[in-house]
Amino acid sequence: MLSRRDWLRLSAAGVVGASVSGWFEDLADAAAAHPLRKKACILLWMSGGPSQMDTFDLKPGHANGGPYKEIATSVPGIKISEHLPKIAKHADKMAIIRSMSTKEADHGRATYQMRTGRLPGGPVQYPTLGSLFSKELERPGAELPSFVSIAPYRFFSPAAYGPGFLGPRYAPLVVGEGQQGLIPIPGQQRNYEDTLKVGDLDRPRGVSAGRAAARVRLLGEMQKDFLKSRPGLLSQSHKSAYARAVTLMNSKATRAFNLDEEKKELRDRYGRNVFGQGCLLARRLLEQGVPFVEVTLATVGNLVLGWDTHINNFDGVKRMSAVLDPAWATLMEDLKERGMLDRTLIVWMGEFGRTPKINGNRGRDHWANAWSAVLAGGGIKGGQVIGQTSKDGMKVEKRPVRVEDLQGTISEALGIDPAKQNKSNVGRPIRIVEPFKAIKEVLS
Amino acid sequence: MNARLLWAQGVAVVLLGAACTTAGAVAPPAAPRNGAAAVRDAQALAGKIDQHIARRWVKPRAKPAPLADDAEFLRRVYLDLAGRIPGVQEVRSFLKDRRSDKRARVIDTLLAGPRYTAHFTDYWRALLIPEAGNNFQVRLQQGSFETWLKQRVARNVGYDRLVRDLLTAPLGGGRPELAIFGGGANPGTFYLAKEFKPENLAAATARVFLGVSVECAQCHNHPFAKWKKEQFWGFAAFYSGIKSRQLMDFVVPAREDITKRALTIPGTDRTVPARFIDGTLPKWKPGVKTRAALAEWVTAPDNPYFARAAVNRMWAYLLGTGLVEPIDEMAGGTSTPSHPELLDLLAREFASHQFDLKFLLRAITNSKTYQRSSSATHKSQDDRTLFARMPLRGLTGEQLFDSLALATGYREPRNTGGLFSELLSGNTPPRAEFLTKFAQSERATEAQTSILQALALMNGKVIADATSLEKSETLAAVVDAPFVGTAGRVEALYLATLSRKPTTRETNRAVRFVEEAVKLAKKDSTKRAKARRSSAYSEALADVFWALLNSPEFVVNH
Repeated sequence: MLSRRDWLRLSAAGVVGASVSGWFEDLADAAAAHPLRKKACILLWMSGGPSQMDTFDLKPGHANGGPYKEIATSVPGIKISEHLPKIAKHADKMAIIRSMSTKEADHGRATYQMRTGRLPGGPVQYPTLGSLFSKELERPGAELPSFVSIAPYRFFSPAAYGPGFLGPRYAPLVVGEGQQGLIPIPGQQRNYEDTLKVGDLDRPRGVSAGRAAARVRLLGEMQKDFLKSRPGLLSQSHKSAYARAVTLMNSKATRAFNLDEEKKELRDRYGRNVFGQGCLLARRLLEQGVPFVEVTLATVGNLVLGWDTHINNFDGVKRMSAVLDPAWATLMEDLKERGMLDRTLIVWMGEFGRTPKINGNRGRDHWANAWSAVLAGGGIKGGQVIGQTSKDGMKVEKRPVRVEDLQGTISEALGIDPAKQNKSNVGRPIRIVEPFKAIKEVLS
Repeated sequence: MNARLLWAQGVAVVLLGAACTTAGAVAPPAAPRNGAAAVRDAQALAGKIDQHIARRWVKPRAKPAPLADDAEFLRRVYLDLAGRIPGVQEVRSFLKDRRSDKRARVIDTLLAGPRYTAHFTDYWRALLIPEAGNNFQVRLQQGSFETWLKQRVARNVGYDRLVRDLLTAPLGGGRPELAIFGGGANPGTFYLAKEFKPENLAAATARVFLGVSVECAQCHNHPFAKWKKEQFWGFAAFYSGIKSRQLMDFVVPAREDITKRALTIPGTDRTVPARFIDGTLPKWKPGVKTRAALAEWVTAPDNPYFARAAVNRMWAYLLGTGLVEPIDEMAGGTSTPSHPELLDLLAREFASHQFDLKFLLRAITNSKTYQRSSSATHKSQDDRTLFARMPLRGLTGEQLFDSLALATGYREPRNTGGLFSELLSGNTPPRAEFLTKFAQSERATEAQTSILQALALMNGKVIADATSLEKSETLAAVVDAPFVGTAGRVEALYLATLSRKPTTRETNRAVRFVEEAVKLAKKDSTKRAKARRSSAYSEALADVFWALLNSPEFVVNH
């Protein structure tokens, strides 16, 4: 017998809903059919910590500024790096937050904090933002998982990429992992286009479709006795995961992963690299109803350290920008053309920024005191800069934004109640976002 | 200078130079005795466990599940004590064994075996440094921590000794140690994982070793529990001498003030002396190291928390639910034990048997309580605090991978460079990738399956190879086995995966499946089908194997 608690959890997971509450599901489906009702989110995750001084908060003329020049954007008065010319044309849709002020300057801890909203340590396993938000945004009966993570570099903090106490039901579907190490090792990089596909989605080589179906039928027969004699959460969840996996294998929605369907010209515009094609894939996944997609940019080609520019910062950021700029700009244009931008929130952030002071290796080190993040697209009032840093870039002088403030604002922009609570692995209910002060002026 | 080289050198210098020192050359600790008397004591305790558990069934008129049959028991006890399922031969000989004490014997064998060491090293590592999952520096030093643990688990040092060694591990000021990337034996990773911060160390000490959750009192007086803010910081003061510094990307220990005994509560000017969590003060003698005094108190046989927390943890590990829940909040909160006398009894016996973990594991696994079936036979068994039925428990990534490897004959390809290559390339070796995918983030009794896990088991390389005739040792051996017929082959596959013989119905179903596949292949007269006809039989057996490996019965501990 299922205990009451199991029952509730299974209902929540959509395992046992159908027979009991058919009418309710119909209602939910009707709601989901309105594509404008709920928003979607693309998180552009800049693993390693990009330099705010050389992207969105330049300090020309100051010794800390470095050699980059500022350029004008589509919004008078807002200037950004000369190496982001395409993004600059979209400043009217962007809220640039120059006053991120956090405390963690270690990759592992900061990655965990920016991606879960909490500090690591202690018994609670916090879910990553994608799991938290996609749980709220998911459509009942969707064939694709609600959270896809493209090309993650999980080494700094594997737990910061997982569903934590929400459980595997809310884990991301991961594609393109292993493409962005700190130092790319020749020969270990596979063709990136192959890796932007779901692993293990195709049946094993040499197993025909008929045979695969026969296997699944046999499995269904064989497990009956066990499921009957051992009911409960574990066996139900196993059964439901397999049902969903088989659905996914047979789903037409997986054609989202077939980038060859796109025009060559558009693919070129995104950039022929993991991040560029990852952004294109994100758009295709959104079209199939996936509400949360994250695309990681940690490094490019054979660039040492990627965003983590302890050494040769100016060469590094320039090369990173050359990949970021066309991909992000094309994503905005592409979404706009398809009428999707208004309901797609785009978040650009890393785990921290970099020291305003330039170190002895022409590099910049970790810096949590004052750095930049960007919100754009759906739910955001663009064309503005939030906050301000001092002339030397060392301090936030206006409107400091904390981790939870940013996340609460994201939550509100997506139409999600940040105070809603989930049950955690220690029994205690936990809010989606800790109490915060929303950046009200960016919400449209 | 080449930037890549410069950076790599920087990392190497930091990692190698910054490692905490090894905890000296530890004299081999005396292993708790496992003599005949202790074994008899454990078995007597098993009987008492059952009496205590049965006593609570009277009032709700609970009907316990029957005892597990030999196969169900064997699979469970292998997973729990050896971290993997039993092999085909181990199952066969156990089922054939007619001795009445064969269950006790197999428990003894497993407790004495090398897999015990491997499995419980994983267990304690996961408990002591869970931060390896969210902190890359901890992950880099996980190997040396495992080595340190393994030395102790292998010698079966008393649990009190293990904890004392950990809490008194010397830090900093020593010579650089090659403790990274698998070299060296280093308990310092525990301190690194807690960031060398007194408050983190105090919270972990209280939670893990005393079953007391005091974290909330760090910032405010706990609304429900009795711990006060001052008490928390008083406890943290035992770690007040520990210091660290930042070296590039890494946190490293600085020289410790080993006799510092007071701490100023951050954000205040109040200084509190080191004080135990029950409110008592240590009787300081000159020259005594502060952490040594803490370790003495924590691990003392008459500490009201220590033994109880350990037996409750082991109980929850083996039976899915603790005698007090949550297991990290046994005291101070609102939770009460389901079987208070039993908890006291186990704690007393554990302490009086030199905190011998094997004694404890032996006592619980020998009980009928542990040996009940997981098959549901009565509604009353749903109340988990009655322990009237064994709940289903999810497997850890390690348990599942090692079971799969044994069932299929899979061998991990030689590692190409381990963690360092992982750090640099972002690539994960197959076993590590599997462990990440199957990492257990919930309680074992609430473990759920994800789509990605299902896909990995349905279509992933490990299973694909296992069910390919060219690549799978197990499958090839089964298909080629002479004189057994299809039914015999099906039985072998059941034994290899589910660790039991199939029922007649199951045999018939599988045999029918194979025969129909062969018949179907014969009917098809196209050229290509003809060529494949000869393989239809073995392919169908491979399909049976696949279905078994993907069945819920395989992926849970039941």
